[in-house]
Amino acid sequence: MSRLYVDTDKYGYQSEFPIVEAYNAAVKDLVRRSLAESGLAWNDFVFGAEYAVITKDAMTAIESQLLDNGYRFEPSAMSSSRERPEAYKDSGLYAENFSFEHPQAPAAPADDAGRTLQGAGDNVVTHKRNLVGIARYVRTIDKVLECLTQGVPADTIMIVDDSGGTLTAPVLEKFAGVLCAGGTTRSHLAILTREYNIPCLMNVRLAGIKDGDRIEIEFSARAKIAEDYETGRDVSARVWRLPAA
Amino acid sequence: MSDIKLSYAQLLETNNLIQQNADETYWLCAMRTVQESKIFPVSAYILFSYLNCFYRYPTLLRKIEASMSAEEIGDRARHSGIKIVAWTIPCFYLLGREMLINWGVIKPTDAVLDVAYVLDFWKRFQLSWHRNDGNITNRQADHRGQIFPEQKLQVFHADAFECRVGDPLHTAAQAFMATIAQYGFLVSCESRLTIHNHGPYKIGEKREMLVRDFRELAEYDYPWLDGVGQDIPYNNLTVAMILEDCHITLLDDWGSFDSEPEMKAEHMVAVGLYSADNLSEGHIPVGMASKDELTRTFEDLTARIREASNKLWTEMAGWTRDQQLDAGALVYFGVGKEFAHIAGVYDKDDWLLIDERAERFRPLLNDEYGNLFLGELVGYISCPSQRMDEYTMMMHTGLPRRGLSYFPYSMLVDGEYTAAVGGMHPGVTNLPAKNDRYRTSRGVLTQAEYNRLSREFVPKACQEPYRFLCRDWVKYHYDTPLADELFGFEQSHSRLLQGKGAGLSRADVEALRGKE
Repeated sequence: MSRLYVDTDKYGYQSEFPIVEAYNAAVKDLVRRSLAESGLAWNDFVFGAEYAVITKDAMTAIESQLLDNGYRFEPSAMSSSRERPEAYKDSGLYAENFSFEHPQAPAAPADDAGRTLQGAGDNVVTHKRNLVGIARYVRTIDKVLECLTQGVPADTIMIVDDSGGTLTAPVLEKFAGVLCAGGTTRSHLAILTREYNIPCLMNVRLAGIKDGDRIEIEFSARAKIAEDYETGRDVSARVWRLPAA
Repeated sequence: MSDIKLSYAQLLETNNLIQQNADETYWLCAMRTVQESKIFPVSAYILFSYLNCFYRYPTLLRKIEASMSAEEIGDRARHSGIKIVAWTIPCFYLLGREMLINWGVIKPTDAVLDVAYVLDFWKRFQLSWHRNDGNITNRQADHRGQIFPEQKLQVFHADAFECRVGDPLHTAAQAFMATIAQYGFLVSCESRLTIHNHGPYKIGEKREMLVRDFRELAEYDYPWLDGVGQDIPYNNLTVAMILEDCHITLLDDWGSFDSEPEMKAEHMVAVGLYSADNLSEGHIPVGMASKDELTRTFEDLTARIREASNKLWTEMAGWTRDQQLDAGALVYFGVGKEFAHIAGVYDKDDWLLIDERAERFRPLLNDEYGNLFLGELVGYISCPSQRMDEYTMMMHTGLPRRGLSYFPYSMLVDGEYTAAVGGMHPGVTNLPAKNDRYRTSRGVLTQAEYNRLSREFVPKACQEPYRFLCRDWVKYHYDTPLADELFGFEQSHSRLLQGKGAGLSRADVEALRGKE
């Protein structure tokens, strides 16, 4: 078996994550075997003979090895698990009666106004007052289409776990406020809510908020800025559930 | 074209350029933001693009430079704007190299003339793009991008219309910027490559100007805008936005910014709108004859863009994963196609295909591996190739890591290296064929017509003797007819500065605004 240039490495041993290590080790193994079998010097192999042996089929075989061992990938794009349900874990996106249940969501019993603390997040922009509205989870393309076709009541607050700017693009401006379970105040969704002047919390840790709950969000709290991220300062804004109106 | 030879000095410089990009890559990726999307497999397509860049950029940049040098392309870009290339070109390419090193598919001593050439091209372009502030990147300028010369800034300053929260122009401009930003993320498959900001530029005691470029909005290179972008009359739009009581504290090499205090709608107190491409004489005003016309123009464009956004979202939501992977990878890889258009050598088969050498790795790029491998490469800096001896303290983290592999100097002694990846290989795509329609400032052109006009056209400010009349020359020759001619090119489209010459100060410009 040939030794690769990177097989002798005083400081680097393996990748941080097991799946990365598994894949990268498998590709290196393929290169080692292919180089040995070719009988060529490296300079005649790389950018030449390698193309006949380091192929798409060989990469498919590497993926198959992992799947055959029972491994299933974590999905991030909806298309991935839709097209290959056998290769991906259940995304949970279509679970009925869903709610985020973040282990670090702050909680407190009802205050004098009957508000129960159910979560907190990073405020994108400080607004003059808090916002009260009705929670609605929008986590899939189908939900976005539903909002498009059926409309969105005026006081609806979107709860989403995708901090990007594409999933909710056609409906974002219809919402009174946004709670996003991921990202930072510089994420694309945060940028867009700032441009649309829609109050938004990012990186929200929520527990026990269901579709249709009446909630209040502390958008009057201080916005989280670059310095807060760099110093690790917590400037969370709070989310309360309110008694039904 | 630069003639790269492997000397000690060349290796030293190349390693310095690699290190500059490594440091900024970590800062941008780990400290600024991450991208995610339920529609697009973002990390997977990013990795895919890196591979395409590694295999294709050397050949394509050499093809471009056979027609126009990197530094002349920089002149043209400074004149009419360009997408974000500062960080993207070298880092996409070098991260592709880093992936292949970690797979054992290449060694750090492979394709060394290519690596040195790509970085040298980038350096010369950047130095020209940044000619007015003398830096190579925004990072080197302490995260600031002062790209434009006084003559262009004076026109933007003079012609911007005052507006305040609640008045029709302010409302229309805010709605426009929100809608176009959202459309931009869609067009670029969740990336921010359609949006580029530069500045800030000092407008007054309490005022700064931010120049916001929105590029590739209409039918142009992307097949997914065929039809969808048909009713958008400008491929590129530039908003000159004047802020009051809001200081832009940082503007990075992704074109994103921070401000103190956090920028809100009320900070925008004046605005202007322009369009420019490589076939226009600089920035042409759009709806700038009056405040009412600009309001109506923003409203009209917002409606058109909103309509295009909805169509595009519906189309993209129905794409297969392979189509999403291709589109995202080609958006990233395609930042270099701007150069090809400027040089008049654009070929869709160069820029809209996944090279078969990158394509072979597609089966590896599932969502989880994509997220984690990308995370290791640019966030954790934890790939084996990135780990260094324990005495090392990496910039920003102090950890014994280094984001991108250097050239080993031992090559100079043992001669153990390969020079290049070789020429173009065939490519593939899962996307529909691109229509032969390109929206430009000269109308909708075919690829052949667009290339021909690009090769023929030289903006006046980029012709001799004006090309080298820089801001230092203006400083000492502002009172000459030649300086008036130079300023006249920008002023020819201006509402307030037409024929005013080179002698105006910023206060003079402000005074003219007050008289309108």
